[in-house]
Amino acid sequence: MVTREDVENIALLSKLFVPEEELDSLTQSMQEIIDFADTINNAPASGDSFDNINNLSNVFREDEAVQSYSSEEILKNAPEQAESHFLVRNRE
Amino acid sequence: MGSITKIHDMLVSKQCSCAEITKSYLDEIEKSNGELNAYVSVTGDEAMKTAAAVDKKIASGEEIGLLEGVPMTLKDNLSTKGIETTCCSKILEGYKPIYNATVWDILSKKNAVLLGKTNMDEFAMGSSCETSCFGGAMNPFNTNYVSGGSSGGVASAVGADIAAYGLGSDTGGSIRQPASFCGIVGLKPTYGTVSRYGLVAYASSLDQIGPITKSVEDASIVFDAISEYDPMDSTSKGSCGGKTYEQLNNDIKGMKIGIAREYLDGVRDDVKQAVLEAAEVYRSMGAEIVYFDLPALKFALPVYYIIACAEASSNLGRYDGIRYGYKTKHYNGTHDMVCRTRSEGFGEEVKRRILLGTYVLSAGYYDAYYKKAQNLRGTIVKAFSDAFENCDAILAPTVPMTAFEKGHAVSDPVETYLTDICTVPVNIAGLPGVSIPCGFNKNGMPIGMQLIGKSFGEARILNAAYKYQQAVPENFKDTKWGVKL
Amino acid sequence: MKYELVAGFETHIELATKTKIFCGCSTEFGGAPNSHCCPICIGLPGTLPKLNREVVRYGIKAGLATHGEIAEVSKMDRKNYCYPDLSKAYQISQLYAPLSIGGYVELSNGRKIRLHHIHIEEDAGKLIHQHGDTYVDYNRGGVPLIEIVSEPDIRSVDEAREYVEKLQQVMRYIGISDCRMQEGSMRCDVNISVRPQGSEALGTRTEIKNMNSINNIAKAMEYEYERQVDLIESGGRVVQETLRYDDSTNTTSSMRSKEDAHDYRYFRDPDLVTINVSHEEVEEIKKSLPELPAEKCKRYVEELEIPDKDAQLLTKYRKISEYFDAACEGVKSPKTVSNFIIGQIFRRTETESDKEEFDVKVTPQQLNELVKLIDSGKIRNNLAKSTLEKMLDTGKGTLEFISESDMGGIDENTMLELCKQAIECNPKAVDDYKGGKEKALKALLGNVMKNSRGKADATAAEAKLRELIG
Repeated sequence: MVTREDVENIALLSKLFVPEEELDSLTQSMQEIIDFADTINNAPASGDSFDNINNLSNVFREDEAVQSYSSEEILKNAPEQAESHFLVRNRE
Repeated sequence: MGSITKIHDMLVSKQCSCAEITKSYLDEIEKSNGELNAYVSVTGDEAMKTAAAVDKKIASGEEIGLLEGVPMTLKDNLSTKGIETTCCSKILEGYKPIYNATVWDILSKKNAVLLGKTNMDEFAMGSSCETSCFGGAMNPFNTNYVSGGSSGGVASAVGADIAAYGLGSDTGGSIRQPASFCGIVGLKPTYGTVSRYGLVAYASSLDQIGPITKSVEDASIVFDAISEYDPMDSTSKGSCGGKTYEQLNNDIKGMKIGIAREYLDGVRDDVKQAVLEAAEVYRSMGAEIVYFDLPALKFALPVYYIIACAEASSNLGRYDGIRYGYKTKHYNGTHDMVCRTRSEGFGEEVKRRILLGTYVLSAGYYDAYYKKAQNLRGTIVKAFSDAFENCDAILAPTVPMTAFEKGHAVSDPVETYLTDICTVPVNIAGLPGVSIPCGFNKNGMPIGMQLIGKSFGEARILNAAYKYQQAVPENFKDTKWGVKL
Repeated sequence: MKYELVAGFETHIELATKTKIFCGCSTEFGGAPNSHCCPICIGLPGTLPKLNREVVRYGIKAGLATHGEIAEVSKMDRKNYCYPDLSKAYQISQLYAPLSIGGYVELSNGRKIRLHHIHIEEDAGKLIHQHGDTYVDYNRGGVPLIEIVSEPDIRSVDEAREYVEKLQQVMRYIGISDCRMQEGSMRCDVNISVRPQGSEALGTRTEIKNMNSINNIAKAMEYEYERQVDLIESGGRVVQETLRYDDSTNTTSSMRSKEDAHDYRYFRDPDLVTINVSHEEVEEIKKSLPELPAEKCKRYVEELEIPDKDAQLLTKYRKISEYFDAACEGVKSPKTVSNFIIGQIFRRTETESDKEEFDVKVTPQQLNELVKLIDSGKIRNNLAKSTLEKMLDTGKGTLEFISESDMGGIDENTMLELCKQAIECNPKAVDDYKGGKEKALKALLGNVMKNSRGKADATAAEAKLRELIG
């Protein structure tokens, strides 16, 4: 059972605001999707496991330095920046 | 039809200059994009610059590669340095990557002519292209119909011949489904053959980049070019089956083509009939058709949605208004800023999937959903590998239906998810699948079928697809749009 | 009622690799903000991590050095939480299959603090809060860390202190980190609870986050112990929560706000593949490890007959013990070497960081030569001592200060002469000795030593005096 509280909690974890008036309909719609997802629990228990698609292992890079980007480039897309930092300005 | 091979021949024979060809593509985009809404950005100046470079090369007598000078497009979730890459989401408004996706690195070094970036469902979440913040791309066969999704823009552009080919991405059918809706060819390669580096992630263990083209040869050419091992992607293996282009037109006599009965369940009659007719075509070419059961498929769809949404909820956490993209205007403190930015920046479907993903990973639910889904993923992988003990390829419908009318993309999310039933198993198992047109319904809308191969078995399924294309060329049909070369 | 303190530690240690854990950016300290960054470590959409092989090797070393079992199969997981210092909104870490399982750190009281596991992960960036604005710098984002998670086996503040010091010591020995708490390359989260003495059940714990000095750990634990005991005694209950320690007020306070609901939703990172560590690789890394401080200390005590306290001092830093080992090469009495180091050399390496660096003017080979002169009876201890001082002043070798004539003892005849002379010149002392005052002999001996300019063998001279006096 998906409750309003569940939805509020996962919205907080997801950093999303759900307006009070949408909470009921969202809970309802989540319930439908979860019911759908629940069908997997009708599947017979299987001992199968899944690791990664091609069963790859030990893919590494060597500890060798690569040229970093300039801070100008790093900050190029920042909505706000100051003194070579990303910035969250606190507006009142 | 402006296929890669045809444009290449024209360039080499100096029938047309690359600038002329590029210009006519740009003109056609200008003319028809208003109605098709395939492109979300057009990079005309860059395209003309590349074209000029190619012409210079040709004039100097240098040899050119098959993809050199051929005008093409990229789905808007492929990172292009200095060119806006938005995933058709408000949250990535104005974002210009400072690096290139590996696939674009490869193609731009081959002098591919990028015409622009194409429309898609927001963050590749959707089956109609209609969750795009720019509105959906339309179907070239009838613009009252959707192009499909999520790579709807690429399929629309290629189908309407306002791009010779394009690259899309396929997480649960996003290449094959729109290719099927638009009557063209779409290849979802084996997981790991094409580098994901620079593809904005939706669901990392399912995402794979692949070509959308007008012909099977073109798909093969593009696949050969982009299936390179990439040290930037830990899951990359590169193509393991050799160049596919050289293996087209191999005899398919004795090839065993399997049909899993579950793939035909709930499929609309016209689609089912077209697929069964295609099986007959194969039989007439000497292939053996074997029917079998694949009961594990029953759980493929919920398994897909659980895994895809779980990964998406994590992959999409980074859009917080701090480093790039959209940031809300009014807020009170950092937490408030992040929540407002995300709530305003993401569309409804994206939010729904983030919430679902968060739910299935959260304390108390992880075992029942995510872990269970991973187990079943193992079961599905095994079921396919068992199936391939008895056949060389699996033939199935790409979508249980044909393109639907715009705005029809049901308000009921679960019902919408059901349209992915035939495409998601391939992603779950990491297998290659190619969708090719296999007929038309009574309204003239294309029907698609897919050939599914073993891991790294692209050559085999492309060969089989090529044989079909040669046998039934009338199913590969031009539309009224586009460049007439 | 008496209450027992129960504590467990989660210790984060920054690894001294050249580059970050998932990209080629430098891990160097300092540098302009956001200048050690690339698309990967600022989490641009579409970027992918690629694991630094050296991080795995360092993690294995840490596991082996703490007696852990290296996992044949380990995996990377995502720990999801959204905070501005975390560029991807998840930290790549290990939960379900960490690199090293179990192990322990043994304390001087013989107790073993068991380790639950050690895992590898990435560090977050740095936030600066100023006038309510938040500035973000990702230079530290993606720097490799190991997290060493102990069982709740610590029972006192002193044990906690020693546990941290021991970890520091061993990680520095194996060269995977400088473990500088003040610079943040070592940080501890302390889980702490109390229970009535004799009780088996664990009390409710609180977690004090991000402690960056051993003294603060001690003070915070003392405070928190008192707070919890007071709370229980006054009928209250300890609430499981995350605390921050304020060293200016010496108090802890709750960190939790409504905004950070904590549910990390760990799952396997699909962008990274499995880590398989072969038995051969573990053996190879094991061989590459230096002798560890605990083993060294034991060897010094048992084989070299160094007092335990001195052995602890010699093994505290790897460089001191290596100096000692080199200086001991072939000497008869390692204790003499130890005394010179702990006595004279330590006076010139006063601070802990001097000791850690152990940059001494006299090379271990020079000290070795000096001690060998004593061993062969060529010079006496006193002369050696004063010579060492001169060597430490100048960095010059033994031979600069000791001439051939200083070396070698005195012959039998000279010895006899000197003793006779001492007896003749000090009749009073001779009488006293004869009268039973053992001490008086020391005065005569002193006379002999003085006149031989320290070259006489004191034991031989004493015997000769007794013989002459009868």
